[in-house]
Amino acid sequence: MGKLWLALLAGLAVTPAQAAAVKDALVVDLPGDVATMDPQLQWDTDSYTVYRNIFDNLVTRDSTGKIVPQVATAWHYTDDKTIVFDLRTDIKFQDGTPLTPADVVFSVQRIIDPAFRSPQLSQFNQIASADVTGPSQVTLHTKTPYPALLAQLVKLSIVPKAYVQKLGNQGFNQKPMGSGPYRLQDWQRGVQSVLAANPAYWRGKPPFATVTFRAVPDTATRIADLRTGRADITRGLSPDDAIALKSEHALKVLSVPTERVAYLFINAEAGPTKDVRVRQAIAMAIDRDTLITALQQGYAKPVNIVLTPANFGYVSDIPGWPYDPARARALIKEAGAEGAKLQFLTSPAYDRRLNEAVQQMLGEVGLKVEIVTMDQATYLKRRQGTPQEAGSLSQGRWSCACQDADGVIFPLFRSGSIWSKYSNPAFDAAVDAARSVLDPAKRLAEYHKAFTILREDVPGVGLFQDVAIYAARTNLQWTPTANEAFFVMDMHWTP
Amino acid sequence: MPRHIAGRVGQALVAAFGVLSIVFVVLHLSGDPTLLLVPPDASAAQIAELRHALGFDRPLLAQYLAYLGQLAHFDLGQSLVQRAPVAVILAARIPYTVELALAALAVAIGLGLPAGIAMAVWRGRPAARLLAVVVLAGQSLPTFWSGILLILLFGVTLGWLPTSGADSASSVILPAVALGLVTMAGFARMMRIAMLDELGRDYVAAARARGLSRGAAILRHVLRNAAIPVVTIAALEIGNLLAGAVIVETVFAWPGIGQLAMQSIAARDFLVVQAVVLFVSLVYIGMNLLADLAYAWIDPRIRRGP
Repeated sequence: MGKLWLALLAGLAVTPAQAAAVKDALVVDLPGDVATMDPQLQWDTDSYTVYRNIFDNLVTRDSTGKIVPQVATAWHYTDDKTIVFDLRTDIKFQDGTPLTPADVVFSVQRIIDPAFRSPQLSQFNQIASADVTGPSQVTLHTKTPYPALLAQLVKLSIVPKAYVQKLGNQGFNQKPMGSGPYRLQDWQRGVQSVLAANPAYWRGKPPFATVTFRAVPDTATRIADLRTGRADITRGLSPDDAIALKSEHALKVLSVPTERVAYLFINAEAGPTKDVRVRQAIAMAIDRDTLITALQQGYAKPVNIVLTPANFGYVSDIPGWPYDPARARALIKEAGAEGAKLQFLTSPAYDRRLNEAVQQMLGEVGLKVEIVTMDQATYLKRRQGTPQEAGSLSQGRWSCACQDADGVIFPLFRSGSIWSKYSNPAFDAAVDAARSVLDPAKRLAEYHKAFTILREDVPGVGLFQDVAIYAARTNLQWTPTANEAFFVMDMHWTP
Repeated sequence: MPRHIAGRVGQALVAAFGVLSIVFVVLHLSGDPTLLLVPPDASAAQIAELRHALGFDRPLLAQYLAYLGQLAHFDLGQSLVQRAPVAVILAARIPYTVELALAALAVAIGLGLPAGIAMAVWRGRPAARLLAVVVLAGQSLPTFWSGILLILLFGVTLGWLPTSGADSASSVILPAVALGLVTMAGFARMMRIAMLDELGRDYVAAARARGLSRGAAILRHVLRNAAIPVVTIAALEIGNLLAGAVIVETVFAWPGIGQLAMQSIAARDFLVVQAVVLFVSLVYIGMNLLADLAYAWIDPRIRRGP
């Protein structure tokens, strides 16, 4: 038994030397398997991590987050609701057929067709129609002026019309084919997906001959795979994992602040938090620096509003509420809410430690927080139900995958949205205006107004900007991005 | 005999029907699963539309009857997340779980029976006590912990076996050991009790009196009789192995139905979750039935009845 422990300790301290030969294959350990290979269906991180390497998008983001051409070379608005895209003519799908404007139009029409039931429909349903308007041109019409259109199109994979129609939707999901740097070689559902390089790829030769995405749910096992060289990179690590990996020489931790914002929801329409003073007191009772240093081990960035700097619409000059428990206590006293009972609704999908930290911090200023844990379906039903059902508090980590304030504060706080338990006509007017003008300066001014109102009304508190944590073999070069994209084309081995 | 079988089969069918109904009730307990299926930014209108399309706005009884009707046609439905037939998704995973369960059973029997025999034969000696501690430890270690230890020792430090996955023949060894260690204890204890029971019987003394050595008496007579209760345990344990596989498969990234259950819960793919629960429950019931019948077949006193 003694020897066994010694061996174990040795295993924790050192890593067996790995052959340093240049590998032509990349192995990625993901927490889960691909749900659908059809890029117009599921939009969970594991699925899009894999299939986005098979397809091209109309536009994409560069490493700084700027929207840049991909299949489209240029675009211009002819009026508020009409945008014309010029397309490349040298792109071929992996079966050798050229990518044409008809394929782009088909891709748009397919995802906005309600009968197709894409889970991504709400990201694209502002598009009214798409038409081929030239040999290398398509025109999109939106229902209203829609400033987030380009941000959404970053995620629209272009699928081959003839091929999809030939195979049908189920067949295409099984055997996807696109114009991207990799083609699907083998998909064992639940086990792994193997992609092979597309040698004729228009942006150049892909960096690895094959890329294998394996489904390994347990974090400790993914790390063991990295240590033994069974995998080269993995995602979905916790701050604690990252700290533990810091001493490993063969591995490195990659992290990036994402567009995901951790926030505390405060019910402004029912219960003790209906009083704005109680909500302001809660904002001042929460020590966000402690949440970041103790809970997130520094893997998070402070935010002043319910939005991250990675999103359009972020305003930096609105001060966040300071941590001031004395003033919070005084405000609660003034509101006559001392000892008030607040229900904190949650489900196992959320970080329990954060719930408890908030419970303790609010306890210190005189509020009694009762954490009510329920299954996810019940939680959603209550949280999205009437203000009376929704409890006083809950936490969330929100990302619209569009890097735009419209996808964050509109669904969270616009009156009438299922998540909102707050109503202020001035706020509604500002977010409505911001989603219907195209001029970025005018939009920013509207969001400034909106966030100024939110600061005083406090229907929610921004806690921190979430950080995505990856671990990789030291010789793999890659810079992760705020939108959690995983393009293998941007990776390579150190020579 | 036929009456006994008919009775047992009837009981199993009642149990199966109970399971089907409980699964339905549990999944509808929270009202309706539509909210789990829509993206977080869906509007109230989109939710209502999907709820109607999936039939969750119908009366519960109508939904229950439709559900039973589907099952009667062996139709498990379409996975709303994966957009593929649930039966296809489930069928792809079953061979892995069967392989793991059989390998774990082999580990459990291979270690548990000799340990049980040794504990009975060496009764009272320090060696037997030591074995009892080892067996107890095997059962007490939670698999999510012992699994990680096995991976660190044999995968990372020694590098003998793969740390995860199911891509080589040796991949099954570590998960089978992790799962088998838990089950081993049951076999060891059962074997020990059965052996002690038999060792104290008159026929053993008679065999010894005839001049048979103790070893020969054990080998020829005791083992055969002691094996009867152990055989039935094996059938029951297969059910436990399926249930225990949820954690082991997750730790070792073994692509069986346990891992499928975890993934489907995380992806809120409730039709797949429902199918896994049904499958495991029905196997459990089936194995119990098999154990009953096997017991009756081995021991004629049972099937004769009063």
